[in-house]
Amino acid sequence: MVRRVLALPTGRLAVGVLSVIALLAILGPTLAPHNPLGTSALTLTGPSWKHWLGTDYLGRDVFSRLLAGSRTSVLGSVEVALIALAVGVVPGILSVYLGRGFEWFTLRIADTLLALPFLIYAVAVTALLGNGIPQAMFTVGVLVSPLFYRVTRAATLAVARSQYVEAALISGASIGWIARRHVWGKVLPPVAVALAQTIGVGFVVVSSLSFLGIGVQPPAPTWGGLLASDLGYLSYQPWAPIVPALLIMATVWGSNLLADAIRDVSGEAGRALLNSRRARARRLNPAEPIPAGGAAR
Amino acid sequence: MSTDGRPVLEVADLEVHYGLRRRRRRVLHGVSLSVSRGETVGVIGETGSGKSTFARAVLGLVRASGGRILIDGEDVSRYSSRQWRALRRRGVVQYVFQDPLRSLDPDLPVEESLIEPLLVQGVGRKEAIERGRGYLARVRLDSELFGRLPGELSGGQRQRVAVARALITEPALIILDEPVSALDSANRVGILEILKELRDAGVALIFISHDLGSVAGVADRVAVLYQGEFVEVGATHAVINTPQHPYARLLVGSAPTLRSAAASRAERDALRALLHA
Repeated sequence: MVRRVLALPTGRLAVGVLSVIALLAILGPTLAPHNPLGTSALTLTGPSWKHWLGTDYLGRDVFSRLLAGSRTSVLGSVEVALIALAVGVVPGILSVYLGRGFEWFTLRIADTLLALPFLIYAVAVTALLGNGIPQAMFTVGVLVSPLFYRVTRAATLAVARSQYVEAALISGASIGWIARRHVWGKVLPPVAVALAQTIGVGFVVVSSLSFLGIGVQPPAPTWGGLLASDLGYLSYQPWAPIVPALLIMATVWGSNLLADAIRDVSGEAGRALLNSRRARARRLNPAEPIPAGGAAR
Repeated sequence: MSTDGRPVLEVADLEVHYGLRRRRRRVLHGVSLSVSRGETVGVIGETGSGKSTFARAVLGLVRASGGRILIDGEDVSRYSSRQWRALRRRGVVQYVFQDPLRSLDPDLPVEESLIEPLLVQGVGRKEAIERGRGYLARVRLDSELFGRLPGELSGGQRQRVAVARALITEPALIILDEPVSALDSANRVGILEILKELRDAGVALIFISHDLGSVAGVADRVAVLYQGEFVEVGATHAVINTPQHPYARLLVGSAPTLRSAAASRAERDALRALLHA
């Protein structure tokens, strides 16, 4: 799967963008040239050699704050995606196998979660559980889990009613055998796509929650928080929101590209796509003989 | 394989219902059939007559609501799912689906699908592959196709793989659900020849089809299924030459490949009117 994703230009681009973001998340806080929380008398200055991206309304170095905030922002969105994965995938698979009662129950829970207004729910849960990053991420993760539940359930259903699963059953295979051998491979690609997409969504959500003051507390920096405070001083520094916004966009874009690449290379369609590319490459490179006839795809 | 007279499959008064309470409908009613070793029985019926349900009940995929099913002398009608699994692992009964493209996992190479029944039985991988090659040769397929995906084979090749998978556990009974209706005539003849060899080797075959003509050439006996009941069971030539039940007569009359009796249109209309009356 990884090799197939890397065979596509979009896949390579996505992996490149996401590795840069990941590096930022790992190394960012240690690379910051200034104390991200340290204030100074130089407020709202433009870019200079000392402050590459200028300073904010409290005189803090914006570049350092961006670097320092990258870990919280990235970890937050990954946490959201992983919680959604855990909460959604397992009931999604089980809903096909555990009988009607469980199926009905989980379907109704998924419907309920989908129907909840997101921000109001987030505010209410924050009031209940207390305001903190893990609580906020948990809330968001649970709220986006119906996506995983639905995707997993649909993929499992398609496999569970297929004839090759019946053929395996007729040979005496157990449910565990069928899950390992036939279901996993089919469920994994759509789940991977949903995961990549959710990382993008999680990013936007974490950013918008910081914007509302939920989750990350000031003065701790995040990309969303930076964007929010920059927006308050638009008349002084109209260019300031561009950098955090670009970082957020790049991450979401990278995740979506990766999701697209995974979708493109998985399943029958993906195999056909890769084969046609290979065939085209062969045509351009006459040193390699072209197999005769249409049989060799 | 021994060719004693003991039936491989005995079905007596089989009843199958679908749905619950008010939506419960009867799909099979009082179905009885016995199949001996080396015998080929054709089960003919139109769409919705219950022929696939019959096969699924014999395989334990559908629960019978009444009657008895004996496989190799064992009464399986009250089996738990664990007992069914143990029985299936012995590979006594195998099944070949109509559409091989859907009955082979599209993401697994052919060899994996082929040797799956052996792997489930606990046979070692190396030995399973070795035996798999032998069976591929038996259905006249090149073992170089082993590593291909089902999508890279032709329809006839895929169906041969499906037949080889059914053979690999050396079953006493194979149920074939319209095994040739998705194939062109050359492949059809190829598959039918393989089936004849199997019958000569003492394997019992149940050949399910909607078309009497495609079964007439291979089956020793024919059972005609109409609205969930066997309306006529008998030797193939008897059913074709002297059909008794109106539906059987209509079937014979509608089969253009049967030279003996292509009924005129008026006769067929009269039979249909008789059936619906």
